[in-house]
Amino acid sequence: MARRRPARGPGDPARFTIDEVVELAVRHNLAELEVETAGTRIRIVREHAPASHGSRVDGVPAVAAPLQQVDPDSAESTAHLLTVEAPMVGTFYRAPKPDAPPFVTEGDAVKEGQILCIVEAMKLMNEIESKVAGRIVKVVVENGQPVEFGQPLFLMEPLR
Amino acid sequence: MFHKILIANRGEIALRILRACREMGIRTVIAHSTADSDSLPVRLADESVCIGPPEARLSYLNIPSIISAAAITDSEAIHPGYGFLSENPAFAEICRACGITFIGPAPEAIRLMGDKAQAREMAKHAGAPVVPGSEGPLAGVDEAQALADSMGYPVIVKAAAGGGGRGMRIVREREGLARAYATCQAEAGAAFGSSELYLERFVEEARHVEVQVLGDKNGMRLHLGERDCSVQRRHQKLLEESPAPALPPETRAGLHKAALAVANAVNYVSAGTVEFLVDGHGQFYFIEMNTRIQVEHPVTEMITGIDIVREQIRIATGEALGYKQSAVQFTGHAIECRVNAEDSEHFVPSPGRLTAWIAPGGPGVRVDSHMMAGYTVPPHYDSLIAKIIVHGHDRNEAIARMQRALYETVVEGVKTTIPYHLKLLADPAFAAGGSTLARLEQNL
Repeated sequence: MARRRPARGPGDPARFTIDEVVELAVRHNLAELEVETAGTRIRIVREHAPASHGSRVDGVPAVAAPLQQVDPDSAESTAHLLTVEAPMVGTFYRAPKPDAPPFVTEGDAVKEGQILCIVEAMKLMNEIESKVAGRIVKVVVENGQPVEFGQPLFLMEPLR
Repeated sequence: MFHKILIANRGEIALRILRACREMGIRTVIAHSTADSDSLPVRLADESVCIGPPEARLSYLNIPSIISAAAITDSEAIHPGYGFLSENPAFAEICRACGITFIGPAPEAIRLMGDKAQAREMAKHAGAPVVPGSEGPLAGVDEAQALADSMGYPVIVKAAAGGGGRGMRIVREREGLARAYATCQAEAGAAFGSSELYLERFVEEARHVEVQVLGDKNGMRLHLGERDCSVQRRHQKLLEESPAPALPPETRAGLHKAALAVANAVNYVSAGTVEFLVDGHGQFYFIEMNTRIQVEHPVTEMITGIDIVREQIRIATGEALGYKQSAVQFTGHAIECRVNAEDSEHFVPSPGRLTAWIAPGGPGVRVDSHMMAGYTVPPHYDSLIAKIIVHGHDRNEAIARMQRALYETVVEGVKTTIPYHLKLLADPAFAAGGSTLARLEQNL
């Protein structure tokens, strides 16, 4: 997702503890929250917001989370998985209409050329197709979230 | 005032805009390509959005992606910097249609000034002298021949949509015209998508002098003096200074007046630059108007104390300039050297990884640069890595200060134009001031 930083005042940067950041994320029902103060960046990703309180704290300065960390619950290696990346900047939608069922959900088998999602850019609904046949292992981005070019959208297990 | 501005550019100008925004309390979003993900402007901006791969066509020139990036970040305005989309009237129009403020002039002014033949007509009408030449695009080589015969040689054939030194040829005698015409036509078609050409008398012993203007939405317009940009290599500016040295007072005053007349004729809003050629007799001719912030704007900021980027932003919100021409004071002399990642002998680009970077400092020195040790100068974009700007009480002090600043500068890993600049600053013809375009290019 587009990287956001909180506004910093000159001289006296606000400081947050990890607990405070987690609490903020839970209180506002955020799927993801990143806070940076002088020299420290805290990034919270909630796996099943709002149902679960499972959170992940990542103090490592990183431009984007490495793919292997996207699914920390998974014990098996994710090295064989393919990442479907956003081909453009825009807003990510899982379904053709707000009340329609999503194009794909986790566990679905998809064919090559099947529509996975929509990325809206300048009021244009761009349908994103799968380049390979495979099974959706994970939907990485929440419906309605902004995405930037190259941002991972899905993890897929290739099938042949 | 704006809450948040998206910067649709990269490198030192992205940083320059970001600095103005931060001082004004405006949040910044930088739209960047994958090649610039680790760049200094991306690090320093409040937010960043990756808009595409390294190729400019798919990122910095990609209008839907940039508008989309502004939309998802709730940016109210876009600053286009220079180059890329800064002089694209369609982009300015799309911004307007999407309810995003384009920080620059109206699309109509950009479009008019982008067409060299139309701009020339308009300037002539406004009373600014133009180089004798064709009225509008040429119908064919026969018309070019007839016109050149009547005006006398040398002449210059130029692409109507041209710029940056491409699509132009100097013709010294009748025999060369037909071939130059054909070459220019092919070049213009390939580079600018329009093969329209025009022809004008080539001004010998010319200097390139331009005038910075500002206009607000209330119709208030003023100039911030002139800049001499006669130090060029293949039509690329390498050093600029203000005020222009050794200019007769009536020429200087005439330039300022003509620049304002041109700006008034198009109801110009925002910062813009009116470019002129000045010949050996102090006679000047309008060439074109650049409807954007320019690379060399800092020399004007140094002698006037006016932050031009800040003024662009203020004007875009509808604020009045709030001062008159008489309040603009010119103090001392300023020089800018463009440090490019290029071999200073052959001027071929030298991309690569910067292993060391020490910027100069001390009294009267300003450095606008996105360099940092470990940075890789990407091969996809222009080679400008730093602008070193100095201010002194007079020209001699400014020259000495620039020499001192360049000596202090350490760049390792890539070749730069600094050796060229040092040679130029020590050249007696340059020190004398008022050198012509041709002489400076021949000497070095």
